[in-house]
Amino acid sequence: MSEIEETLKRIQSHKGVVGTIVVNAQGIPIRTTLDNSTTLQYTALLRQITILARGTVRDIDPQNDLTFLRMRSKKHEVMVGVDKDFLFVVVQAPSE
Amino acid sequence: MSNGTAKMKKPVVKVTPSSRLSVNPKMPSIYQSGAPVKHNQSIMNRSVTGSSSRRSVVLQTDSKLLDKGSLQTGKQPIQVLDEQGNDVTPLPLFHPDPNAPPPKQSNFFASQDASMITAPDFLSTISMYQTGMNTSFAGPFTRSIIGSSTVSKSSRSTVESMNEEIEEPGTKRVISLSLSDVQIRREEVKDIVTEDMLDKTVDVYLTETETLWILDMPATMISTDAEEAETVKLRTQAYVELCKNRLGNDLYVDRMMQTLNDAPKCKEVQCDKIIRAEAATMATIWDMYDTFLAEEASKEDNKTTKITQPSRILSRPEESKGTDAMSIISSASISSLSSLGVDAESIISGLTKEEPSDPELILKSESFQQNLCVMERIIMENIFQPKLADYRQLHIFKDPDCKPPEEDGIEEEPTEVTTTTTPTLDRLWSFSCEVTKGHNVSSMAWNKINKDLLAVGYGEFDFRDQKGGLVCCWSLKNPMWPERVYHCESGVTSLDFSIGNPNLLAVGMHNGEIVIFNVQRQEDTPLIDSSNCFNKHTGPVWQLQWIEQERGASGDDKGDSLISVSADGKIAKWYLRKGLDCTDLMKLKRTRGDKSKKPTGEKDRKIEALISRQAPGMCFDFHPKDANIYLVGTEEGHIHKCSCSYNEQFLDTYKAHRSPVYKIAWSPFSPDVFLSCSADWTIRLWQQDLLKPVLNFSSVNRAIYEIMWSPKSPMIFGAVNEERVEIWDLDNSILDPTIVSSASPGVTLTTILFAESTDCVLIGDSDGQVTVYKMKNLTSGKTTQANALDDLIGSTLASQL
Repeated sequence: MSEIEETLKRIQSHKGVVGTIVVNAQGIPIRTTLDNSTTLQYTALLRQITILARGTVRDIDPQNDLTFLRMRSKKHEVMVGVDKDFLFVVVQAPSE
Repeated sequence: MSNGTAKMKKPVVKVTPSSRLSVNPKMPSIYQSGAPVKHNQSIMNRSVTGSSSRRSVVLQTDSKLLDKGSLQTGKQPIQVLDEQGNDVTPLPLFHPDPNAPPPKQSNFFASQDASMITAPDFLSTISMYQTGMNTSFAGPFTRSIIGSSTVSKSSRSTVESMNEEIEEPGTKRVISLSLSDVQIRREEVKDIVTEDMLDKTVDVYLTETETLWILDMPATMISTDAEEAETVKLRTQAYVELCKNRLGNDLYVDRMMQTLNDAPKCKEVQCDKIIRAEAATMATIWDMYDTFLAEEASKEDNKTTKITQPSRILSRPEESKGTDAMSIISSASISSLSSLGVDAESIISGLTKEEPSDPELILKSESFQQNLCVMERIIMENIFQPKLADYRQLHIFKDPDCKPPEEDGIEEEPTEVTTTTTPTLDRLWSFSCEVTKGHNVSSMAWNKINKDLLAVGYGEFDFRDQKGGLVCCWSLKNPMWPERVYHCESGVTSLDFSIGNPNLLAVGMHNGEIVIFNVQRQEDTPLIDSSNCFNKHTGPVWQLQWIEQERGASGDDKGDSLISVSADGKIAKWYLRKGLDCTDLMKLKRTRGDKSKKPTGEKDRKIEALISRQAPGMCFDFHPKDANIYLVGTEEGHIHKCSCSYNEQFLDTYKAHRSPVYKIAWSPFSPDVFLSCSADWTIRLWQQDLLKPVLNFSSVNRAIYEIMWSPKSPMIFGAVNEERVEIWDLDNSILDPTIVSSASPGVTLTTILFAESTDCVLIGDSDGQVTVYKMKNLTSGKTTQANALDDLIGSTLASQL
């Protein structure tokens, strides 16, 4: 458990990382380093797109499943680790 | 008739004026409904009264008038009249079947007046009775209309004569009913319930009750074979004649009736609003797949034992919930998704998992950990992308969205052109973290299979400041945190990955112990260690190597065995048989510098005051082609060539260095050439057959800790002394290193390792950092053949001669 905590802390302290969110299966954020409104916004929107992406992947091959989703934009990169029980979201600003 | 009227005065009195009056309106009401009345009122009255009187008379006495009645009837209810004619009939205690007496009485008149009174008249008489008689009989009488009407229907005057047949049995029935009524009354009186009777067991007999006729609609047809057929035919004929005679006959009067129409009523009904709801679902491919899978899983569940059932039961509701949820989600609008329930669709593999609705469970779960790991690597990739790309010799893409710092030489900047051509070491990144800070890097080794995995051993060289040792396994994908961290009791001095089992890492320590770790596990405990071995080393294990031996037949070799050399002068070969065990390959005996060995009996050695007879071995290297031959470097400065077959004698000794030989390296390209470095500030190039070095390299007056040939180019090797890194390109110059990179002040560089397939070199230092440098602009493209080195040596030798 502590290793998980350590890793989580390390991730949060990496260069460029704006924030991290852990969302449970019901769409409720469990852990977050961002403020409340931003967290909720990210959670809601990312959940939708994750479901959509997962549907796409599985429509092509039902035995397949989505594991990771990455969205790169001008200002940030949003990375979502997908699991059936949770979503792990990290927002990182590009380095350099 | 007149007599009747005279007598009737009395009975008339009996009928109260009110009742009479009531009768009168009644009568006209009936008659109003109809048609022209032939008889005038008075006559009607008379007829009415006559009938009433007749009845009363009959009732009063059992006189002659009764005779007519008695033909038909048996018994009649008794009515008591006093002198005034008041009806003082005692009220019966028992009310018989209402239909019973009235039909009987009405039958009276039916039979008597059949020919005389028409239907309407008959009805009027009955109605009079209804109002005029005792209240006790009122009920029955009201009903009697129905009864009488049926009877009247069945009478000859109104309906077809066929009915008479049926009428007669009906009347008989009625009579019997009345008889039974009386009988019942009698029986009732006699029954006295005693206490004894209550206690007595009563036998209850269950029998079928008599059939209750609810509706009896007798047929109006009789077959010609029946007995009554003749009479019926006669009657039919009589009726036909009657009908014929009807026209113009005074006896028959046409009368009309008006049916009463009830006033219409509007009735409104209102029902609840029918709520419509639209439900839609999208049958996606994966939804169908999941459903089928769930069905199969449930079938399997029925077969499995109870032990596994609880976990599967947990999974099933989750799965069904999941599939329901997914279909709901697909049909609902996207905007409302966030508020909907379960998201997770059941995954194919997830049959035996828990249901972590608790957030803590999620955070502790295995999958979360993996996810974190992956995420971290991805973040690292983002951070280090240019560096890693450089390492892997990929094209570096500049991030288009961020302001790039000036890359040297690529942009059009006239001032920076000159720096591109000279060979340099480009610092890419360094492996370091808080755990490793302050530890001296003593050894590094790549994994034999996974070229991205690097094992670094941390331990002090000096015996004075010994602290706990550390072994870290770094992955290129995460330069900021090691994948594995193993703590050791004493400083790590050497390590190596196994070839046969790439997950085994052998670590040699300063206290002479050798441990083997399984890097697949995270635990700090080694797989096995050498502490129980008798022959274990007593001095620091300066070098470890897994060697592939071609001993196919003998023993349980998995292809490679562990060889170690240590400061106690032993070269040991380790086996894994019920624990780590070793055999000595060689004991390094001390040899004097130039003097030959004295005969064994000589005791003069004591003058020399040697501590031990063994010479501490510092390093060794097996021949790349012949696994039997190996070189050993000792603290004395000698290099011995040994063979595995002989463990007593050296094959050759190369004496040149005056200080401990820290590293020996065979050239990977040229089979006879090897390189050695020592603390006497020199690097020497040897050829196997010559006991004198071919070439000497020196640059600064510092002990050279380590050297390594470049795996890509035969002419390049790297050397690390205390304060700088030197890359020697023999093609370029044999006098000076081609690339020199100084260390940061306060830090001494200790180890060097070339990366296999890239142009990168790793340098470890005393601060716990392993820095990755990329060699740039080394003109090594020309000399990729091993011949080059041989040529060089040949030319050198030739020049020396």
